[in-house]
Amino acid sequence: MARPAMYRCRRSNNCMVVVGLALLALTAGCSPYEWRHENQWESRDQIWLAEASQVKVRAAQSRVFDTADRLKTIQGVVATCQDLGFAVEVLDETLGIVSGKKFDDYESLPWGDPSYHLYRDDGLLILTRQFRSWGPFYHRSNLVRLTVTVRPRGNRQLIVRASAQYYLKAIESPEPYQQFFRALEQALFIQANALP
Amino acid sequence: MNWTQLVGAVVVMMGSVILQGCVAPEPRQELFAPTDAQMKIRSAQTRTFEVKEQTVAMRGVIAALQDLGFIIERANEPLGLVTAARFAEPNYYDVLGVTVTVRPQQDGKTMIRANAIYNSKPIEDPKVYQNFFAAVERSLFLVKD
Amino acid sequence: MQRLPAAVLLLMGLLVLPQGCVQQTQPAELFQLTPESSANRAMQTRFFDTENDQELLSASAAALQDLGFQVEESVREVGLLRAAKERSAREYGQYRNRFFIWLLSLGHVVIPIDLHQKIAASLVTRPLNEAHSRQEVRIVFYRAVWKGDGQADRNYIPPGEQKMEMIRDPEIYQQFFAKLSKAVFLEPHSI
Repeated sequence: MARPAMYRCRRSNNCMVVVGLALLALTAGCSPYEWRHENQWESRDQIWLAEASQVKVRAAQSRVFDTADRLKTIQGVVATCQDLGFAVEVLDETLGIVSGKKFDDYESLPWGDPSYHLYRDDGLLILTRQFRSWGPFYHRSNLVRLTVTVRPRGNRQLIVRASAQYYLKAIESPEPYQQFFRALEQALFIQANALP
Repeated sequence: MNWTQLVGAVVVMMGSVILQGCVAPEPRQELFAPTDAQMKIRSAQTRTFEVKEQTVAMRGVIAALQDLGFIIERANEPLGLVTAARFAEPNYYDVLGVTVTVRPQQDGKTMIRANAIYNSKPIEDPKVYQNFFAAVERSLFLVKD
Repeated sequence: MQRLPAAVLLLMGLLVLPQGCVQQTQPAELFQLTPESSANRAMQTRFFDTENDQELLSASAAALQDLGFQVEESVREVGLLRAAKERSAREYGQYRNRFFIWLLSLGHVVIPIDLHQKIAASLVTRPLNEAHSRQEVRIVFYRAVWKGDGQADRNYIPPGEQKMEMIRDPEIYQQFFAKLSKAVFLEPHSI
């Protein structure tokens, strides 16, 4: 009778490596929630940004409007954010900053989630000195943030730049921003032009 | 005592313990009353500076806090409020928070009051506040030049 | 309860030991300048020869936006700007560590790994002289990381443990000030 493969495994180095890798895969993140987080070699690389992708993204995120009326433009931006369901938290007319956030609701549990409200995601973390925050953690990652800056370009134009963050990644594809600016054009009745 | 009685007794005991644990603790009557230690420290926490404008004083406080390695969390100009915090580096488990209020006085001076909290406990050592005000004075002095 | 192998206990001890060995800094010392204070200040600060502090603030927001940050708070009157970005903190190397600890503990311990990080910045502009012709911009970057869940024998380790660090690498500060100076068309001066 031939020996089962298992016995041969104990003697062979290659086999041990394969078994080890299999076990590694097993213990490595059994939850889809974990898989949703982008894996990388060095998490600190997220602190700074690669220059290469920035130019492309900047073009997708920015539009030029032929108006010098900053106030009206910012009002239009705020109206658009509200239409999109964002809670506007930062609004400075002089500096030209509008910033809001919302929680992506597309995967909410059908029966609701009582621990959702146990989170204080807005407080500066180090003043809420809780080393173990509570609750199903995915509610932090379903945060959607949007920041819009309105800055003058020469005397007669304004540059509006919208940058968004979705599921722990910056949104770099142009389509969402096209939709945003289309909505903004409608709110302002002014045509949006691409960055030259 | 037979088995049923024993189980019954245990259930009653556990029930009373659990019920007690489920009730929220009552606030003490003196929860909002200032303690003696706080009254004593209030004079150490306050200092008056020869600064006319509230904004100038606030900026001086913010600059001093940044020099000391604090992260500025909140600043409210009309109320003259600045909140900041820092870690007790190199130890990242202890957190030091400070709330500073800046109030203009009648005679062209400004009163600055600081409340420092170390790991959720208010700091009652006057030396801490002396060091803080030394830093504020340094930063206000720099601006004047 | 199963006998935890001596190796696991030793490992736990080694993990806990560094924490216990770090000196507790007294609060009074935390309000004093340290030798690193001036180096940090030089890294975090630049001067700009302009009267227009609001333009500096607005350009700072644009520079942070360029770096992928979202503005969280802006207080124009005192020149404060706070921004943050949330990213994944999951790393390949952690799985290797988790596997070895799992192996060493004979399947009893699955340590939580980093999942989520928030990188934040706090910026302040202020005038440096009476005429307000020179402005100082000072920014500090810091990071908080949260871990997922784990298992230690029969005990479930809930998710959400957080650790924080101040960012002391000069790259991000240089990147930020390079973008800021391009946005305001002014040369930054260092300390």
